[in-house]
Amino acid sequence: MLDGLKDVVRKSSIHVCLINTGGCNGCDIEVVALLSPRYDLEQYGIYVHNNPREADVILVTGAVTEQWKENLQRIYSKAPEPKVVVAIGNCPLTGDVFNQEGCSVYAPVSDFIPVDAEIPGCPPRPSEILAAILAVGPDAIAAKGRQKP
Amino acid sequence: MSSLIWYLYEFARKSWAESFAVARTNPEIVETPDRFRDFPEVFPEYCISCGACTAACPAPNAIRLVRSEDTAEEEGKAYPVINNRGCIRCGFCAEVCPTVPKTITCGENHLIREEFTILPTDRMFVIDDYLCIRCKKCLKACPVPGAIYEEDNKIIIDQSLCIGCEECLNNCPVKGAVKGIFISHIQEQKEIINLVVNTLEEAIEGKRDDISHLSDEDVYKFNLPITELVERARSVLDNDDLILDTFQKITDRLKLRIVTWDEDKCKKCRLCVDECPSGAITYDEKEDVIKRDTKKCLRCSTCYQTCPFGVAGYYVSRFLLDPTSLEEGVIHITVKASQLPIGAD
Repeated sequence: MLDGLKDVVRKSSIHVCLINTGGCNGCDIEVVALLSPRYDLEQYGIYVHNNPREADVILVTGAVTEQWKENLQRIYSKAPEPKVVVAIGNCPLTGDVFNQEGCSVYAPVSDFIPVDAEIPGCPPRPSEILAAILAVGPDAIAAKGRQKP
Repeated sequence: MSSLIWYLYEFARKSWAESFAVARTNPEIVETPDRFRDFPEVFPEYCISCGACTAACPAPNAIRLVRSEDTAEEEGKAYPVINNRGCIRCGFCAEVCPTVPKTITCGENHLIREEFTILPTDRMFVIDDYLCIRCKKCLKACPVPGAIYEEDNKIIIDQSLCIGCEECLNNCPVKGAVKGIFISHIQEQKEIINLVVNTLEEAIEGKRDDISHLSDEDVYKFNLPITELVERARSVLDNDDLILDTFQKITDRLKLRIVTWDEDKCKKCRLCVDECPSGAITYDEKEDVIKRDTKKCLRCSTCYQTCPFGVAGYYVSRFLLDPTSLEEGVIHITVKASQLPIGAD
């Protein structure tokens, strides 16, 4: 009964923290487009906070530069359980155009933190990002919340 | 006051209440529009394995050429595989893909056909500065402003502006001053040139008896019909324009040097053997003969100038193709004794 109530609350209110680990900002702009009235992220109960301490979903963009290797893990550890990581764009997946010979990028992100969902594209459409968050977010958070620590 | 009433009335309407209750984005907004360039689609059956897509791709991990396994019936084929996790959906791979229909399709840009390519013909037009008389007729005839220009008293064709209309070639009063060079089929052109030169040389050496009686002033003339040559050239490359152009250029520019060899006069002095720079002349001790290898010979005339007995003869021949057609064309050959001094210094 209590779990069911928690599930409903968790599914209808997702707090999101956006991390750019060194990319071109294209994906961040697509996320901003999501916040705009046209796509209106908040109608689905998703709120962007940019504060890992109150985030359920961590959105990662960028190809993980030298400075971000430790900071990314630090931010991940600060988010409270249950938490879900969504990698947006090609940079966190393969490094994309930055992963040239001699470039100091350390993609993929999954080498540093566990990734639950991946959205390929450079950048992905806002609707693709939205669909991925909605597909993985509510159920994963609810399911993780039920796990005993 | 009235505005306030209108304001409240706005909230009191049923449609407002309905849309407030189900506040959702219009699904049409979320849908992907038709013009959106999605990840490329690959049709391996059209692929010619040229690798142009991998060369054009700006992302390092996006396209890989893979080769399917050989089966009993046919060999494996290499074709591109798109990695969506690396692809940036730029569509360059589809634009460069040379196959018809396209092996890779992506968006709509690759469907645009350019109205003309950079060179609509397979010929490149250049002006031979040595032959050019600077009459500027080509400059006046050229339909593209600035494609032919004058600089330092030279007339130059700008290759980036040239549209290959041939107007300059048709208006040039000097034969050979404007050249339309075929820039395709280079290997075939080489084969045709070799074919013509070898045939001409054989034809002249076949007339050795007539040539060897030539005095210094006399000129020996004979004709060679080109019908048989054209047939053989067509078997190399079936492009009549290119064959005629190549024939014309060869006959205009070729100055063939002929070395004849009269063994009856040879006294086996072996002076020529040491002088020959390419080792084409050898002495066979068993049979006691001097042999000349025509394939090694450079036609440098050293043996002719060395031999005290006139074994080696040295002649220069020139050619003219007239009339310039592949059907009735005849190559007029003139052979002349060379004016070089004879006898070792």
